[in-house]
Amino acid sequence: MDFLEMIGQPFMQRALLAGMVLGGLLAGLGIFVTLRKMAFFGDGIAHSSLAGISLAILLGWSPLPVALAWALMVALVIWWLEKSVRLPSDTLIGIFFTASMAVGILVISRTEGYQPEIISYLFGNILSVGKGDLAVILTLSAAIAAWLAISFRRLTFMSLTEESAAVAGIRIRLHSALLYVALALTTVLGVKAFGIILVSALLILPAATSRLLTRNFRSYIVVSLILSQITVLTGLALSCRMDLPSGAAIVAVGTALFFLGAMAKKLWK
Amino acid sequence: MPEQSPKTNNIPAVSVRDLTVVYGSNRILDQVSFEVSQGSVAAIIGPNGSGKTTAVRAILGLIPKNSGRVHLLGKHVHSVRTLIGYVPQRFEFDHDFPMTVGEYMDMARRLRCSRHFRPEIIPKKIKEVGLREDILSANLGELSGGQLQRVLIAQAIINDPAILFLDEPTTGIDISGEASLYGIIEHLNRVHNTTVIMVTHDISVISNVVDTVICLNRKMLCYGPPKTALTERKLNELFGKRSGIYEHRH
Repeated sequence: MDFLEMIGQPFMQRALLAGMVLGGLLAGLGIFVTLRKMAFFGDGIAHSSLAGISLAILLGWSPLPVALAWALMVALVIWWLEKSVRLPSDTLIGIFFTASMAVGILVISRTEGYQPEIISYLFGNILSVGKGDLAVILTLSAAIAAWLAISFRRLTFMSLTEESAAVAGIRIRLHSALLYVALALTTVLGVKAFGIILVSALLILPAATSRLLTRNFRSYIVVSLILSQITVLTGLALSCRMDLPSGAAIVAVGTALFFLGAMAKKLWK
Repeated sequence: MPEQSPKTNNIPAVSVRDLTVVYGSNRILDQVSFEVSQGSVAAIIGPNGSGKTTAVRAILGLIPKNSGRVHLLGKHVHSVRTLIGYVPQRFEFDHDFPMTVGEYMDMARRLRCSRHFRPEIIPKKIKEVGLREDILSANLGELSGGQLQRVLIAQAIINDPAILFLDEPTTGIDISGEASLYGIIEHLNRVHNTTVIMVTHDISVISNVVDTVICLNRKMLCYGPPKTALTERKLNELFGKRSGIYEHRH
């Protein structure tokens, strides 16, 4: 079926809305992920959510709320341990990433029969976003986007010069914790659409590509957001046109844009 | 109207009493006490690892102190944040990060100033630190060490602070840059009556710029005007043979 024909279908409308909202939010948060060099965080949180998803499936509950709660707990424990035991965040993320994966695999091994839902969460299926999922995605995304808009300058200033920001009265610990929570929730919301394995690409690729092409902060933000929308829309269109898995098609488009950006930068230099 | 510092000439800009900071079993600062008067320039000097930066960070509330009292303009640091400027020792950022000097300064203005500080304050502050206005369109990553240090000072003084803390402001700057930086400090002190407290290891210029010197090596070894506080014996006690580089210029 043609992409334009499919847009008339409710499942495709839900997919487009979820993809564009989550793509934009992940790109916005990706600015801080690249600035604070925490690209591994998104990957770690996404993989950690497997434990929550597996537990929910074992207990017969809805996977998304359980995965969100699990990721929230992991993010806050990482944030607390960073200051308490003074270990680098990538070490802590590595520990919780693998520990949660282990919990997930152990739980899956106790679940009888083939579990297609787990495969759908591993690789993502944006076309399977239901009305309930969309309501959760839109509600949480609106809350996170509102917080991000209010805190954007504070987050940027503290990401550049943490001590100057602290002296200026910015509550560093509180804003770091909220950033971790926002990243964890958005990443897990993205897991449903883009998959555990692929979601972190949407956090990194638009921000990384935009960085290659821009010289000032305002254009960096705008180009990141535009690239995220191009990535999601083109990926979905390709997925429909060529009957490809949607998550993989979206990430492939984002990666292609990154390489085009890298070549453009090389040529302009 | 810009925010005003309290007109409390008898109250010291900085008052530190028995400040002690301990990391594990390591006593970094041991009962350090000093005062810096409003409108003066003070230098905290000492060898590497003597607790100079720790003292400033504890005064600013960036690290917890184990005991002691710290007052800025007679108040707790949290209630006078808008009256303080700070340039940390290190500004480690990604040099390819797309942000112009103008954007960085405007972000600082919006976060650190009341709404009475209009955007026109930015070029004014940039000129005050000896930079040309066209640097506002340059990327932060394109600046030399000296230019970046001046931009950081311009950011720190964007709200006309009553007290400016500078941690090793001349690190990574050549000799002419150092002289120019001390010129900026003198200008801020003379024109705006800003109290400046700087951490430095550069004792050769202290007597020309500084009103009060605070010598630290975990404990306070000397304190007062450079002419009287920096005796040969105190310098030897503080730096050992390194004190030979000191030239008294009075």
